[in-house]
Amino acid sequence: MTQEISSPENIDDRLRQGQITETVITARRANDPQKILDLIPYSSFIGAQAKVESEGVLYWLERRASNIGNPTLPAIHGGVIGGFLELSAAIEVLYVLDVSVIPKVVDFSLDYLRPGRYKTIYANCTVLRQGKKLVNVSATAWQDDPAMPIATARCHFLLP
Amino acid sequence: MEFNLKMAMFKPALKFAMERAGHGAALGFKLTRVGQGQAEMTFPYKEEVIGNPLTGVVHGGVIVSLLDTCCGCAAITVLDRRAITPTMDLRLDYMHPAEPKKPIFVSAKVYRNTANVIFCRGSAWQNDEDNPIAHCVATFMKVDAEGMRFSDILRRRVNRLFGAISKPSKEVLEEPK
Repeated sequence: MTQEISSPENIDDRLRQGQITETVITARRANDPQKILDLIPYSSFIGAQAKVESEGVLYWLERRASNIGNPTLPAIHGGVIGGFLELSAAIEVLYVLDVSVIPKVVDFSLDYLRPGRYKTIYANCTVLRQGKKLVNVSATAWQDDPAMPIATARCHFLLP
Repeated sequence: MEFNLKMAMFKPALKFAMERAGHGAALGFKLTRVGQGQAEMTFPYKEEVIGNPLTGVVHGGVIVSLLDTCCGCAAITVLDRRAITPTMDLRLDYMHPAEPKKPIFVSAKVYRNTANVIFCRGSAWQNDEDNPIAHCVATFMKVDAEGMRFSDILRRRVNRLFGAISKPSKEVLEEPK
């Protein structure tokens, strides 16, 4: 291990991890989870955004042609909904818990309840359990009415 | 013989739907093989969808999209009547992280086809098919497509359009309350 740390790539990695940690801490202080989202290229690819609301962090995904799965309906791709919920759950872990390393997903389970229409999707997440090694997060996505979710997901993350 | 002909006509349509439109096109999915109850796809590495800026590994969401699409393709091939197959649920287990800058291969297979539900299994791998990066099981509902004819879609769109036009006037009426 000590040999690895002295190699140039690892020093570079540690520096960049330091930047991530710094961004996460600044985001928590500024109440701005969007700063953490901006670290992850996938979030801008699908167009995910986040802000702090009274009952927690609200994540949303504005409609975008590249997120369509079924062009005849048109409906949002099921994989985008899944990816968005997985991303939201990971941001929730970074923002709410005292974790500053991007957590590893172990498993992800998604139930589709209604079709995702071609309009904004909202989501919120709840950390159900935090252990020493595992975190269980549940995420729910809706469009018009929070009481009419389009999908719910459950996600396990492994902490370093 | 009839099955081959059906699949031969089916593949270009499915390929078009998966590769040329929407999210599949944005990610650059390639449908490499379709058969009765099975499908295979490839995803070339893309920097835009990195999930961990430290390692350059693609985000899990891409693997969700890939497996959902691939299982969906496999599910469509076993239909014996006009129907659509929305996903009911999808469960993914990540075995180990993907390696950056390498394509991801996925394959999906239908392992049970009942009157109303189609059960699929899929896996995603990079170097070795026997050492996958993720496994998934997905279930699909069979919904009869009688209401999915082109004329019905058109009628619903027209209704929605009129609904959208008449909506603002309703709100104006309700505002004084």
